[in-house]
Amino acid sequence: MTWIMRMRKSRPGLPIFLWLYALISVYPLLWMIFYSFKNNDEIFVTNPFGPPATLRFENYVAAWSNYDVPVYFMNSLLVAIVTVLGALLLAVMFSYAAARLRWRFSKLAHTYILIGMFIPIQVIMIPLAILVRDLNLANTYGALMVPYIAFNISFASMVFYGFFRSIPIEMEESACIDGASIYRTFFSIMLPIIKPALATMVIFIFLNSWNEFTMAVILITKESLKTLPLGLLFFQGQFTTDWGAMGAAMTIASLPTVLIYVLFSEQVENALTVGSAVKG
Amino acid sequence: MNKFLGNKTAILLFILPALLLYSVMVFYPIVQTFFRSLYEWDGLTEGTFIWFDNYKRLFEDRLFFTSVYNGLIFALIITVTQIGIGTVLAFAVADMKFKGRRILRIAFFIPVVLSITVVCQLWLSIYNADYGLINRVFDMLGLSYRQDWLSSSKTAIIAIAFVNAWQYMGYHFALLLAGVKSVPEQYMEAARIDGATKLQAIWKINIPMMAETYKFCLVFAITGGLNAFANMFIMTSGGPGTSTYTLTYLMYRSAFRVGEFGYGSAAAAILVLECLLATLIINRFIARERLTY
Repeated sequence: MTWIMRMRKSRPGLPIFLWLYALISVYPLLWMIFYSFKNNDEIFVTNPFGPPATLRFENYVAAWSNYDVPVYFMNSLLVAIVTVLGALLLAVMFSYAAARLRWRFSKLAHTYILIGMFIPIQVIMIPLAILVRDLNLANTYGALMVPYIAFNISFASMVFYGFFRSIPIEMEESACIDGASIYRTFFSIMLPIIKPALATMVIFIFLNSWNEFTMAVILITKESLKTLPLGLLFFQGQFTTDWGAMGAAMTIASLPTVLIYVLFSEQVENALTVGSAVKG
Repeated sequence: MNKFLGNKTAILLFILPALLLYSVMVFYPIVQTFFRSLYEWDGLTEGTFIWFDNYKRLFEDRLFFTSVYNGLIFALIITVTQIGIGTVLAFAVADMKFKGRRILRIAFFIPVVLSITVVCQLWLSIYNADYGLINRVFDMLGLSYRQDWLSSSKTAIIAIAFVNAWQYMGYHFALLLAGVKSVPEQYMEAARIDGATKLQAIWKINIPMMAETYKFCLVFAITGGLNAFANMFIMTSGGPGTSTYTLTYLMYRSAFRVGEFGYGSAAAAILVLECLLATLIINRFIARERLTY
């Protein structure tokens, strides 16, 4: 202990570096929030750096009512919720069958699903776009939901598989003896056991699909279907003169994920870094 | 019990939806990418099989080399800054005794959860030539570095790479912090008794024991860099000129702007090979076995 204390005394640079980097990491965001409450005069001339002199909520009103921000927001929410539910259901069923049930190709099927984790989306964008068009999904909510669900199956299955493997076989044995069906066992006994893993994956999949950009930009062109990452893209052009409303729209778009993070910071960090154990 | 766990109907019911959707939306497109890279194809008709002509054309295309080069630069910058800064921050936070640990962790991680569009738009305003934060700070300090960061073909790719480095530093920090914590205290204690300085102990004991974590960070940063797309799509559209093209951007433009789907698929196939090669090299040079003492 004293050794560490001595190091601390001799090296005051470290805490300074920590706080300096924290400033670099957070100040751009604060700056954005600040200017979302300012008018152009304040942003450009009188007060570019500091907190706003008065809170001009009219920027938020403008972003929300004059432009399509509510549409984008609801689209993002809808797509994210359906993706979370769909991917969780498919992955949890598949990984249960792969980890616990007895059939010949269970190992092979599990490996086959895992391949998806190592493929960057960019690589399959072209065939995927053609496929979405040929399935008549282009410019429907399905154009995002279906690929998003498919893409999250691999990773979620891997996480659930590990959890299911760690449950003792006696759980199913006693359920079987008590006369429960396999479905009953799955829904009333196994699912409650892996609740922590489910919670982690809800956060992971929600954040990923809320922020997904690459697929969305290629698969969606219709204005009324755009999610926030897409909708905000065209703000720069529209609002070159109105930084306040632009800042307000960006703040609105960031609010859900930042709130989730601040409330559940430990879980979010675990959820987003959970892949490190396997992926490398 | 075997009958209970071997229930054929239940197994099919459980596995078919996932297998079907995954096969159609993920696996089939992977195969298609390689297959279609051998075609001249406009995405509408059947296309003509042309063997490796798309690849031949790629290797004669100057834009291809610009793209590969930019991918490497991008990967290099984000790898060095994210893992370098992440390491220092992780070790510093791990043996922090003063207050504010939670605040620091949140501060480092928060950009990770933001949408890439928000981050890029925000940095567009930060880099803005007239009103941007950076040029303002230089002005305030009386330095004459003021410039248009994104319109110079020399600085644009670097400026964009730093945006990505800024956003995902917290991700590497969180991974590395978990890595630091997983190294048992007694090793550091032993090193201290043997008279090692703190830095020596970190360099000789902690970092080698975190090989697995570093391997993952390297794979993540390097393949992420080679794949870069959204950052340049939003901030520069590949410009000025073609100076911020990456392979993914080349693929995007070939397929969805020019309509050469086969050529784009070839670029995507090269991208897979590039990422695979990077992963293999990393695995080759970083100890496969977890170190134990």
